[in-house]
Amino acid sequence: MLTPLTFVGDDAALVEALRTGHPGAAAAFYDRHAGHVRLVLRSTLGPDDDLPDLLQEVFIRALNQIGTLRDVDRMGSWLTSIAVFVARAQIRLRARRSRLRVFSPERTRSWQLEQPSSDARRALRQLYAVLDRMPVEQRMAFVLRYIHGMTLAEAAEACETSLATLKRRLARAEKRFPEAARREPALTQWLEDGTRWNTNKKA
Amino acid sequence: MEHKQESLENIGTHVREILAADVHASDELRRGRIAFLEEVERRNAVPSYRRSLRPGSRRWLPLLFAASFAAGTAGLWIWMRPVTFQVGEARPGQLGDAIEAADGRATSLHFSEGSTLLLHAGGRLRVLSLATGAARVLVEDGVVDATIAHRRSAKTRWDFEAGPYRVTVNGTRFSMAFSASDQSFSLSTAEGQVVVSGGCQKTPTTISAGERIELSCSPHEAPQPWTGSPPAMEAPLARERDLAPPSKAAPEDAWRELLSAGRLSEGLRAAERANFERVCQIASAKELLALADASRLFGAGRRAAATLRVLRQRFPGTMDAATAAFTLGRVAFEKQHAYAEAADWFETYLREQPSGPLMGDSFGRLMEARLRSGDRTAARTSAQQYLRRFPEGPYSSEARGILLR
Repeated sequence: MLTPLTFVGDDAALVEALRTGHPGAAAAFYDRHAGHVRLVLRSTLGPDDDLPDLLQEVFIRALNQIGTLRDVDRMGSWLTSIAVFVARAQIRLRARRSRLRVFSPERTRSWQLEQPSSDARRALRQLYAVLDRMPVEQRMAFVLRYIHGMTLAEAAEACETSLATLKRRLARAEKRFPEAARREPALTQWLEDGTRWNTNKKA
Repeated sequence: MEHKQESLENIGTHVREILAADVHASDELRRGRIAFLEEVERRNAVPSYRRSLRPGSRRWLPLLFAASFAAGTAGLWIWMRPVTFQVGEARPGQLGDAIEAADGRATSLHFSEGSTLLLHAGGRLRVLSLATGAARVLVEDGVVDATIAHRRSAKTRWDFEAGPYRVTVNGTRFSMAFSASDQSFSLSTAEGQVVVSGGCQKTPTTISAGERIELSCSPHEAPQPWTGSPPAMEAPLARERDLAPPSKAAPEDAWRELLSAGRLSEGLRAAERANFERVCQIASAKELLALADASRLFGAGRRAAATLRVLRQRFPGTMDAATAAFTLGRVAFEKQHAYAEAADWFETYLREQPSGPLMGDSFGRLMEARLRSGDRTAARTSAQQYLRRFPEGPYSSEARGILLR
């Protein structure tokens, strides 16, 4: 019997197909969930040239661990926690690289050289610059809660930590972020006039 | 407190809106998909030795043996079949025939095992012998771009003869030029390594990716400049020219003429006599590269690095500045054993010239530098990136080794 190359089926069938090595399952798995995973990576990391490689790493890790997925309905949050794990490693890698850049200051990432196309982009870049200066665990709690819009329970699950620990990290981040953000001109405006962008959009 | 949370939530809303409108999203998703599916395919290609034949499947064993025998015979035939080549689009090539690129047009030679030669206009060569994975080519005159396919199943060895010079290759991409009139010879390697021997050299010289050599045996006449170099092929490592004539230039400008003649050690000494710092401020980018190479080759790694940094300050954003970044990586790696710094410089080259002639070598050296600096995760990432671009490249076995650790 020939096995069709294109996979068709729900998430439960997809997980079974991935476990049995269906030839079209990997592509279907990626196509179904890559948008969500990319958004987690993008919101936690900000602009990053390695994003395609990180997407690959998340899905390879997921494929390696597919046997451990118990509840198929929770595939989205399971993938989120893998993406958070990969993003955390990337933030630490970037911090190490950044320390090395002290000795060769001309080395700057390409996205840092881009001219801002709008106030919003400038504010976005300053926001991630502030986040880059925060401890990684506080950063992850802050981003998942406020930028990704997760509930506290969802964020705790994604960070693979307890609700109490997440709340503690978030409280510290909530104190630290506005203090640092007020030193960035574009972000100050953003903080003080939360509805400015919506107003602009309506106009 | 509620106001602060509301303010933070508003920020989150704005960020989500900006991220949703990200123009890079589809490109990132597409590249991630290609990388992921390639990795899955690579894994599936590795046979699983854990699987065992079920008892019921034993009846298929004779058929399996027969199929294996047939496949083996076919493979042997493919492996043993004679290598042929074609000149241009259709003409079968004959061993020993002179092949000329006349009428101002280049002529291509396609070999059945995947290698290709491009003979530039005005050039002439002969294919002297051909066997599986081996060939002898006589370049009588002109410029030849060679892409030699490396065979994993058999040793690859191609020999190019050009006047008194011999180039030995085992899978690489390079461009060579030979002038029958003055016996001058030049070679630039884009990938892999070649060994150049003969001529007036006392010992063979290995030319790695991104390097270039110029040789001439003429004792009284400097060789004509090579005009047939392929586009975008840089020359960061000019070597001493054999038996080139002594300089007669004025002392303050002697370094310039000596460097242009490829006499690096003498050029370096002349530059030192003429105030090295001042020379660095007036030298061209190519002259600075030559001075840096001279310093590097004759043991002054720090001076080489300082010269290259001056080049990057004076000529930012140029191909030469990127080549300087690559060479800074080599100096940090080879002379100073500063592997993390070397990795940074190779990354700088790749960012500034993502499709540059030293791209393959930069990826390979970046992988090695990251491994030696102890960053195994980054080394694995580099190995994956390298294999994705150069599955059969000169660093592919090292890359696979890193991924298997």
